Amino acid sequence: MAGATRPRTVGERVADADPSAGRLLLVAAGALFWGWLVVSWVNRWLGGPIAPVGEPFVAPDAVESAFAAVPGLAAVAADAAFVVELTPVLAQGTWLTVVITGVSLVCGFFIAVPLAVARVYGRFSAWLSLGYTELLRGTPLLAQLFVLYYGLNLAASVPAALSGVFPRDVVWVAILGFTLNGAAYQAEYIRGAVESVDEGQITAGRAIGLSKIESIYYVVLPQALRYAIPSWTNEFVYLIKYSSLAGFITVPELYYRANQVATDTFRYTAVFLILGAMYLALVLTASKFMERVDDRVAIPGLGANRDR
Amino acid sequence: MTDGDFLRVSDVSKWYGDEQVLDEVSFGMDRGDVTVLIGPSGSGKSTMLRCVNRLAEAQEGSITLDGEEVLSPDTDVDELRREVGMVFQSFNLFAHLSAVGNVALGPRRVLGLSEDEARERAADQLERVGLADQLDSYPAELSGGQQQRVGIARALAMEPKLMLFDEPTSALDPELIGEVLEVMRALVDEGMTMLVVTHEMSFARAVADEVVFLDDGRVVERGPPEQLFERPEKERTGRFLERIASHD
Ligand SMILES: Nc1ncnc2c1ncn2[C@@H]1O[C@H](COP(=O)(O)OP(=O)(O)OP(=O)(O)O)[C@@H](O)[C@H]1O
Ligand SMILES: [Mg+2]
Repeated sequence: MAGATRPRTVGERVADADPSAGRLLLVAAGALFWGWLVVSWVNRWLGGPIAPVGEPFVAPDAVESAFAAVPGLAAVAADAAFVVELTPVLAQGTWLTVVITGVSLVCGFFIAVPLAVARVYGRFSAWLSLGYTELLRGTPLLAQLFVLYYGLNLAASVPAALSGVFPRDVVWVAILGFTLNGAAYQAEYIRGAVESVDEGQITAGRAIGLSKIESIYYVVLPQALRYAIPSWTNEFVYLIKYSSLAGFITVPELYYRANQVATDTFRYTAVFLILGAMYLALVLTASKFMERVDDRVAIPGLGANRDR
Repeated sequence: MTDGDFLRVSDVSKWYGDEQVLDEVSFGMDRGDVTVLIGPSGSGKSTMLRCVNRLAEAQEGSITLDGEEVLSPDTDVDELRREVGMVFQSFNLFAHLSAVGNVALGPRRVLGLSEDEARERAADQLERVGLADQLDSYPAELSGGQQQRVGIARALAMEPKLMLFDEPTSALDPELIGEVLEVMRALVDEGMTMLVVTHEMSFARAVADEVVFLDDGRVVERGPPEQLFERPEKERTGRFLERIASHD
């Protein structure tokens, strides 16, 4: 059992990779999707060396006539042109969606770990942690965003150092909201994992002279965080989708932009189908990525998805 | 019989809630002594061991190690545990660390050795318990006997002056017990002071300077193994020994 359960190297993984057509297609689609996004973002930051900012990389008219020329595709030629026309707006909105999700997730993680540890090992702090998670999980996320934005008017008090990083200060308010809310959910997943670490592990740590905190840091957390990866991935996926709520406090992220286009063009069905596909691509990327992480940090005999 | 005073346990009592689990327990060990604690399940053997390194807190009595009071509130517990190694029935190896990682963690994080020094020390200790070829194996990849030997190496790496063993072989398949006892015998030969909870009577007979029979939190009887095993003074001791013998 020894060698087989070790984390595989990249080379081995490529060699083992399932070469089926479906998989190849998925990888190709992923590369195309992210290639397009990254090129679009870079193009915008550099002031449009590839295509004028706000314009698609290929002319919609050209796409339309190309599709029209192919029998069988002619019927969707107008739709294809519409999709191409939307690409700059979608790329721009996706940037904020990705940034808000990524930053909130990471910041939330650093709050969630102490919350989870306090919940399991604390006394007074366990109650504080419980109060925090119940409050944030028990009230609607949208209401929390509204309190931060309209109630506390936080957009007006974004520190000067942060202001201007994004086109609108309200992006910071969204990040704060998702961080605080996501931390509560992440803490629940991590708490479950911390609790599942055998008590003898901490006893052994203390027996060699580690303090309680050190035992938690060096012994419990490295195991618990590995256990937590699969369920924690859920929170990642939820956050990608929940980030669309930022649109309700006027953050021009993916949902907000798409909604604007739909209202302007009245093509609701087409726009929201495309929007759905965008979120699906982001979510698939996230879960594939976390699968990789899970593989990479795997330790023989540790965790539910490993052979024991 | 004069009690040793390297480790001296005097009238130690402990309660969990209303339940008294240790009742004025007393015994003593000299440096290099091996004392074996025996007794039925629930008699307080593990608790007694844990009071020595303060994983459990005794409410009454005194424990001195090398002249220092262990139970005093001023005692630096982490310092105490550096000097007292412990080996567990269920091994309790750090599941996310390789053998060498398990042994190196204490030297690295508690003693403050560098990464390389800690690794080197860990490799030396693993060699000492016969696992030089398993340095990078994870606990799940090792047999029970190997895991327990890593557990012993982990405790030894802190260079303790006293070793506590809590039923180190009772979770092992019979064919794996020998390799662990062998390592423990070698430690005895090196002059390690050892307080051992075990029901391996042949081991106790061979290496123990004193056997302490604990029942219901009380020391019923204690003495050299020949005396306690062959001519127990108390009836309860005799009955317990018969029961143990019939299990083997
Ligand atoms: N953390 C604890 N909380 C409450 N009671 C405990 C705790 N640990 C042990 N006890 C109780 O103390 C008594 C002595 O337990 P201990 O584990 O010391 O016995 P033991 O002699 O080691 O038994 P065994 O041979 O089963 O290991 C038992 O009645 C047990 O239920
Ligand atoms: Mg016990």
